[in-house]
Amino acid sequence: MKLVVVGLGNPVMSDDSVGIKTVRELAKKLPANSEVIIKEAYAGGLRLMDELIGYEQAIIVDSIVTDKYKPGTIIKSDLQTSFISRNLSCSHDLDLISALELARISGLKCPEKISVWAIEAKDIWTFSEMLTAQVSQAVPLVVQEIEQVIDGLVGNLTNMEPVPGTNRRQG
Amino acid sequence: MKKVTIDPISRLEGHGKIEIFLDDDGNVENAYLQIPELRGFEQFVVGRPAEDMPVITNRICGVCPEAHHMAATKALDDLFQVVPNSAAKKLRELFYSSFFVTDHTTHFYALGGPDFIVGPDAPAGERNILGVIRKVGVDIGKQVIACRQRNHEVIKLLGGRGIHPAAGLPGGWSKAINEEERQGIEKTARANIEFALFTLKAFDEIVLKNSVYLDLITSDTYRHETYYMGLVDNSNRVNFYDGMLRIVAPNGQEYVKYHPCDYRQHIAEIVMTWTYLKFPYLKNIGWKGFVDGASSGVYCATPLSRLNVADSMATPLAQEHFEKMYETLGSKKVNGRYLPIHFRLATHWARLIELLYAAERMLELATDEEITCPDVRVIPSGVKGEGIGCVEAPRGTLTHHYLTDERGIVAKANLIVGTTNNYAPIAMSIKKAAQKFIHNGIVDEGLLNKVEMAFRLYDPCFSCATHNLPGKMPLHIALKNNSGQLLQEIRRD
Repeated sequence: MKLVVVGLGNPVMSDDSVGIKTVRELAKKLPANSEVIIKEAYAGGLRLMDELIGYEQAIIVDSIVTDKYKPGTIIKSDLQTSFISRNLSCSHDLDLISALELARISGLKCPEKISVWAIEAKDIWTFSEMLTAQVSQAVPLVVQEIEQVIDGLVGNLTNMEPVPGTNRRQG
Repeated sequence: MKKVTIDPISRLEGHGKIEIFLDDDGNVENAYLQIPELRGFEQFVVGRPAEDMPVITNRICGVCPEAHHMAATKALDDLFQVVPNSAAKKLRELFYSSFFVTDHTTHFYALGGPDFIVGPDAPAGERNILGVIRKVGVDIGKQVIACRQRNHEVIKLLGGRGIHPAAGLPGGWSKAINEEERQGIEKTARANIEFALFTLKAFDEIVLKNSVYLDLITSDTYRHETYYMGLVDNSNRVNFYDGMLRIVAPNGQEYVKYHPCDYRQHIAEIVMTWTYLKFPYLKNIGWKGFVDGASSGVYCATPLSRLNVADSMATPLAQEHFEKMYETLGSKKVNGRYLPIHFRLATHWARLIELLYAAERMLELATDEEITCPDVRVIPSGVKGEGIGCVEAPRGTLTHHYLTDERGIVAKANLIVGTTNNYAPIAMSIKKAAQKFIHNGIVDEGLLNKVEMAFRLYDPCFSCATHNLPGKMPLHIALKNNSGQLLQEIRRD
């Protein structure tokens, strides 16, 4: 399994950095000989596609603003759902699905399976390197769950709606 | 217009929001594009060493970190009172030219071009690069990806990192290049020139030879007469990296030319009670509202603006295409320079001419005998307490301004980003498009597409705030009466 885990967001925009902070924590937990690649990405669309090329599977960790869930809620999806986290697309080019299609048409190898782990954000508009308290609490939970995926303990990542016992509401 | 307080922007996932205000007869009085406010940048950087600014400010935006990095680096030159040597300046400009090639390529093929290549009336879901491929062929997609990849490698090589460059230092650049690296960059530059020429040829065949598209470009719907701003070199030629800021009047006459450090003498910002946006304008002309003309302080800073303020392009092939654009769109030469083009959709063409210029400039620099000089840094010797740096970002003139204490610790920062310059012109373009499609409170079909085209040509940057658009940019247009009461909502999710 050639797996890449991408933390996506803006590292200086408060809760928008939750994906980046999560993969940094994940990187500390992985054994030195792990074949899993950890990356940070700062924009969606074509720029995010560039980071995914050449891998068989990808996990993207990002913030999301739905106003449906409490800040810190973990929402898992795949790219085919209509419910997409806030950074997957880029207002300067196109959405990730189209960017990957462009890559495939152009003969580049794209991941067969892309899972998105989104964390409901409280504040994505304030310049800060700190997460809000509720969102911060989600980081170790996401790290733990992705570790389990890496260990092959969890297979189905396409459950959209938070289900008690699977996704957690924080705060 | 009655003063209206706009509700806070919707926090729904990924909505650009346009507010259109109607008068008592149901006709358009004003229209604005809402961009979320980013809070607290000045507080965020206060207390940090100024030398950190190139690697902090480049995190503001995931799309144009190179522009912020370069403006911040130049502000440090000023702050620490140091002038980089010639080799360092050339390396910086080489890096910056490669960035421009990437950014302009992406905009044309992913955003600007599809409106013409696929067609302005095609469904929004088809007006993207995949639609371009279906129309032109799969090879174009491969070329776009190849162009992005080869320039990404140059940016990584010269900037130290692929995304957030780190090579800029006060007084120079932290990375010199060897002959082997130079040869690789030269190869990339040559490929970029070929690609830019190919793109301009495609534009010529698909757009300019189509009378319907040419009529659209030259239609009054997308025409505004404003002042124009852009950096020019000593010969009044376009330059992205350095120079004087030149502003020309709607009639093409030079209104003023000033050093970027003097921006506060020429640019002011007006705050409206109904929005958090500040609208920059020419201080010495004055703010007369969102109106065209020489008596209005509204100015524009875009690829078209940069060409409008210049006498010519600095590279031969770009100059040929520059002349072709002005001649084709009916501009006359007065006192040795073309009169400005006011057709805003011509910004797409101007962007391609800039793409070619950036590629040619890259080759000039990659083959310059100084470019492999190992000495690329002048060590600073003092702290002035204030530093201003200015570059042309792809979306317009970018200015960074820092105030520090005697140790170089930031006390205050002010940034005027490319898109900020264009807030008023964008509002005017949206308003004009809306006026064409809304009469007596009745909204015609096609409003969404036409309004979208009106602001897309500016490539407004919400990336640092709203890079959250699922798929094609969703639009949320709110029509309100002059009391701010919501009359109708038009949405495309």
